[in-house]
Amino acid sequence: MTPPAALWRAVAVGCLLLGVLVAMAGGVVALFDDDTATAALPQLGPQGRSPQFKVECAWSHAAADDPIVAPGRPGRSHLHDFFGNTTTSADSTVATLHGGGTTCQNQLDTAAYWVPALLRRGAPVRPIGSAAYYRPGPGIDAASVRPYPAGLMMIGGDHHATVQPLEVAAWHCGASPVLHANPPACPRTAPLGVRVAFPDCWDGRHLDSDDHRSHMARSRDGRCPSDHPVPVPQLIFEVHYPVSGDPAGLELASGGVRGVHADFLNAWDEDALAREVRACLNGGHVCGVVSNRATG
Amino acid sequence: MHRTTHLVVATVLAASLVATACGGGGSSATSTTVAPDPAAGGSTLRVPDDHPTIQAAVDAAEPGDLVLVAPGTYHEAVDVETENLTIRGLDRNTVVLDGQFKLENGIRVLADGVAIENMTAENYTTNGFFWTGITGYRGSYLTAFRNGDYGVYAFDATHGQLEHIYAAGSPDAGLYIGQCYPCDAVIDDVLSEYNGLGYSGTNSGGNLTIVNSTFRFNRAGIVPNSGSYELCYPGRDNTIVGNIVHDNMQPDTPAIDDALLAMGNGIIVAGSNRNVIERNLVYDHAVTGIALVPYPEEEANDGAPDISTWDTPCADVRDDPPAVTDPAQLGLVLWDPQENRVVGNAVSGSGLADLAFGSLQPDLASLGNCFADNTFETASPVALEQLTPCDGAQPTSTDWATGALDLPALVVAQHPPSVDYQTAPTPEPPDQPTMPDADTAPARPATDVPVEIDVAAIALPKRPSDG
Repeated sequence: MTPPAALWRAVAVGCLLLGVLVAMAGGVVALFDDDTATAALPQLGPQGRSPQFKVECAWSHAAADDPIVAPGRPGRSHLHDFFGNTTTSADSTVATLHGGGTTCQNQLDTAAYWVPALLRRGAPVRPIGSAAYYRPGPGIDAASVRPYPAGLMMIGGDHHATVQPLEVAAWHCGASPVLHANPPACPRTAPLGVRVAFPDCWDGRHLDSDDHRSHMARSRDGRCPSDHPVPVPQLIFEVHYPVSGDPAGLELASGGVRGVHADFLNAWDEDALAREVRACLNGGHVCGVVSNRATG
Repeated sequence: MHRTTHLVVATVLAASLVATACGGGGSSATSTTVAPDPAAGGSTLRVPDDHPTIQAAVDAAEPGDLVLVAPGTYHEAVDVETENLTIRGLDRNTVVLDGQFKLENGIRVLADGVAIENMTAENYTTNGFFWTGITGYRGSYLTAFRNGDYGVYAFDATHGQLEHIYAAGSPDAGLYIGQCYPCDAVIDDVLSEYNGLGYSGTNSGGNLTIVNSTFRFNRAGIVPNSGSYELCYPGRDNTIVGNIVHDNMQPDTPAIDDALLAMGNGIIVAGSNRNVIERNLVYDHAVTGIALVPYPEEEANDGAPDISTWDTPCADVRDDPPAVTDPAQLGLVLWDPQENRVVGNAVSGSGLADLAFGSLQPDLASLGNCFADNTFETASPVALEQLTPCDGAQPTSTDWATGALDLPALVVAQHPPSVDYQTAPTPEPPDQPTMPDADTAPARPATDVPVEIDVAAIALPKRPSDG
């Protein structure tokens, strides 16, 4: 009934045999033909190695809006899939979002999350849902992590990129740690997803910046740079799609498949976010794991 | 459809699997108990008399204090960050934490030694009662009803006691203990029904004892399992004795995919190892009464560690990188059940087989599982007890073929779909026995658990009059 299964495996193995091993970032990361990686980084692989809290949010709506890049200009963006806050539009601000509902399992997470829509031969693919993992950045002292300020805007991944570090923006299957620059052929039981890791250091002053990026930075070697000294949770946002098998015809609404990116506008209930950061991250606890065993 | 994928991929991979040598005996982890804490026995903080909410009382409490909650409905998600508290309801059936399908956990415990007693948590989007990343926990006289993941959930937690608990209406497990080795935990006198799984534990075991409990009317009853999606794999060394497990084939519960896959089985060991399953009364299941089967993990993070690593505590391996990083060796990993001991159970009324053992391994005997002295009518393979005797006895049959378990057929079998936990027809919980002397008993933080269980003294239960 599903003959591609054996074929997927054969294709995957063939592709991976081209690989070379590269050591990086304190762990062993295997890069394969510049296209695939499996990593021993603590941020990948089984959940539970680092403190985290997680929020699972259903798909809310799709619109050609972007309150960070094109505020006040509805319909001027590429098509986005929105998760979390149910009111997100081109006109959204933290104040409007705080009054909105949410698709998240945690009702106190009224933040807005969005990604470019995934198209299959031009038609939008409605996502299964999303998962947001909040963790200390790699090597960052968990006790030092501070909550995002209300209204913080962030972009992870690069819309215009043709090559991105896979640990920043990548495709994957199910809960697999193997990351891909291009959509892989996934089994039905571990369908296609995108994964974006946001920057984890804040400049301590600005909620946004002209390029929507320079107020944030990524930590290196477990430390935030001096011009972005405030460690904030590293948000890893995943969107899961009901897509398996041949990835032909898939494209992001922003163009191509290499420019994986995601946006976040912090409109969490402030007390709830502060509590999660303190209790789970500062306290060093795994406050929940995303079940890889979906409800059938 | 996805089950077909399992079948195809599993069949492809079966030929390349290398049998794991299974030497050694069934020694289990030694028991350790946390020393009693002299801080116990502090102040009593009353809700709502002294503090308007449970959270306010918990936040004001000092280690050793007792938070005493009066009857009422509390729309709270309580976080506990102070160690050695005792949080107790005055009446199990009328002290109700209600998440209204909006709040995540009834009580989430992030501190050591916290005991929760004598209350109900219902309608939470994730869990009723949840301990994570701690040492020392106890849940006594708890009712967990209609929660979105688990009823009672202990994750990455050791030294625990879950007793006198009723758990119903969750799509995953009514009770769950996962990611710990040795877990040093006891589940005693619980009733788990109308869940996806009665009990589930992933990558857990080591002085983990499940006794004197009833698991019925779930999709599947008791399901120890393994997988590399969480740490400390594989599951091993659980002791499951003196339980009543029946009618686990309920078609209208909420259910995760694995509960659908496991549907119709009483005790199903899905890739867990070196478990002791003795003197349980198991009856009336659509598929099997007691089964040992592989767990197929798609897109695994790691392969199954060698048996020589099983005695290593979770704490010593959790930061290790995956042993297998070659993606070609990942993909679908089959977690085989090994070294399990199924002895002296009374099993009847199973649609396929009362006792069953299957794998895609060509050499099933190499997995080291044994079956002996069970009362049963049907087995798969038919000669199971003759093929796999315990305690070093020589097999008296070599016929693995007759009546062999058809795993692919089980994987592709279709079951009624999950029903949303909010709307599933889970019966309202009947009033449950309340804690004796709840208003006068002193604080008892979870610093003296688990209580030692005399497993050898537990007899095969008798069939209840209502079951």
